[in-house]
Amino acid sequence: METQRVICDVLCVGGGIAGLMAAIAASENGAVKVVVAEKSNTMHSGAAGMGNDHFQCYIPDVHGDYEAFANDLLYGQFAGRISAMGREAMDFWFKNSYEIVKLWESWGIPMKYEGRYEFAGHSFPGQTLNHLKYSGFNQKPILTKQAREHSVEILNRVMVFDLITDGQGKVIGALGISTREDKLIEFEAKSVILGTGPCVRMWPAPGLQDFNRPLPPSCTGDGRAMAYRAGAELVDLELTAVHAGPKYLARAGQATWIGVLRDRYDKPVGTFLTKPNRYYNDMTLEVNKGIFNEYIKSGKGPIYMDTRGMSEEDLQYMLYWMKHEGNIELIKHLAEEGIDLRKNAVEFMTYDMHIVGGIPYNSKGQTSLEGLYAAGDEWAGGISCAAVFGWSAGKNAALYATSVTSTDLDKVKTDINTRKEMLQDLRSRKDGPKWQEANYALQQIMRDYCYTVKSEPLLEAGLETLIRLKEKTHQYLMAENPHELMHCLEVFNLLDLAELVFVGSLDRKETRGINFIRPDYILTNPMLDAKRHLIRKGPDGLPVTEWRKI
Amino acid sequence: MPPVINKEKCKACGICADVCPMDVFFGTKKGEFPVITYPEECWHEGACVQECPIEGVIKLRIPLQMMICYK
Repeated sequence: METQRVICDVLCVGGGIAGLMAAIAASENGAVKVVVAEKSNTMHSGAAGMGNDHFQCYIPDVHGDYEAFANDLLYGQFAGRISAMGREAMDFWFKNSYEIVKLWESWGIPMKYEGRYEFAGHSFPGQTLNHLKYSGFNQKPILTKQAREHSVEILNRVMVFDLITDGQGKVIGALGISTREDKLIEFEAKSVILGTGPCVRMWPAPGLQDFNRPLPPSCTGDGRAMAYRAGAELVDLELTAVHAGPKYLARAGQATWIGVLRDRYDKPVGTFLTKPNRYYNDMTLEVNKGIFNEYIKSGKGPIYMDTRGMSEEDLQYMLYWMKHEGNIELIKHLAEEGIDLRKNAVEFMTYDMHIVGGIPYNSKGQTSLEGLYAAGDEWAGGISCAAVFGWSAGKNAALYATSVTSTDLDKVKTDINTRKEMLQDLRSRKDGPKWQEANYALQQIMRDYCYTVKSEPLLEAGLETLIRLKEKTHQYLMAENPHELMHCLEVFNLLDLAELVFVGSLDRKETRGINFIRPDYILTNPMLDAKRHLIRKGPDGLPVTEWRKI
Repeated sequence: MPPVINKEKCKACGICADVCPMDVFFGTKKGEFPVITYPEECWHEGACVQECPIEGVIKLRIPLQMMICYK
């Protein structure tokens, strides 16, 4: 396998919102050579790849008193994730959000609607609206252009799969593969920023097609997995969430819909709305996205997003934002099927489960490892989170890089060669299971042993099977080309993280929220409210957990 | 399965293969018509449709199992 070495000051792993913002900020703060390694293409990669229409932010002239604004943040979308980050990080996020709004506006991303800052959605009636509606359809091409104008080198079709440390816990680089040709890339970097997005494909897809997902199926928790293997702490990995939206067409959002959730006989399911409202969508979804599954399983029948009765102006308003959220194909499908949202109600469903825990990072983007930074969906998530923390991580990683004198990869050549041999094994096997078998086997285990309701016997049995699957996968998996090699490495990452989900679940001896139910520990332990559940690799290579305030 | 390419109009510029986030066009050679090697990996986000310089050349066909339900 051909080997290429890339030497840089700052390496951004992932070219989504966080990665591109980090790269631009690093370039503006003294880093001479900044590289973005992106598994697909920064033009449309990541969870914001086809656009977005809502940017959570605080604008003083619109919102006034910050304290009142901040209080309402703890009720709407991402409330749980925001409170998990802690007050300091939350304040940093929102007090810096307006600067990003102005920056993006100056770069050509329209942040105003009809000449004003328009806020709508994701809030309960009467509460402060904190989601700025913006026209982000073209945001990734614009950010890609900005990065190039800042002399950032973008390497598309490169999957970084492991970090390199100096053996003392300091990150000095990373290893990647080309997903188009047989090539290993050794990155010698003074600092590394992880921005690989969410973790999808650990649980089965909502329908019978694995890549039919609300979040990009190319995002497989690569950052979390490589951070853990390098010795970094991960947080609350066993806590999960589900998304929801139009039934069977999972590549669609939920919040842009202006409507009321009603049952088959038009009875409202929640108590928040009785008629469509363009500013306050039905928050029943935000309270419990699993409600669609619960209705079906309990025999109550389907739930519809009832958009009937809204005005023509509201319909056009909704379609405009759907386009900017990246749902053009959904709009086309509705038209082709003859669905008129003023006359028809669309059935919704609960989508797949995904982990919400990740790599804890502070307001500087620092992680528990020296030289390693993280941002965006590596933990909390959302567009403005990715933009604000990506920007901060880039700035601080660049400043840190100026203090680093040596990152000599040749001192850890044995580690690199071991990984190279693993790649060559995957590519040289002539028969054996392919990545799909391993991924489906993993999804079955997660569905049957580690879904919402889990107990000690269930988790122990599931973990045993998972470990066996992991061993077999490493022993026998084969890749016929670099594209399949990428998927094999994704599955390895998912398997490593799944093990941590099991270990973390066994150690969380309580019930928490609606997605973590332990019949053997039915109470929520209030003593754990202010603590986070950390997990890291112990000296013997096995995961070690700890409860701690961070 | 998606995407569907009109070969009579396609100029084989390769942009669709370049931008596809899932790389369903893996194996497409420069200057040749795009090949759809991994249709089952399509995310239906429409990057190829959006970036194609000639309108109407690429169309995403939503598979039957993804057909939307309504009343």
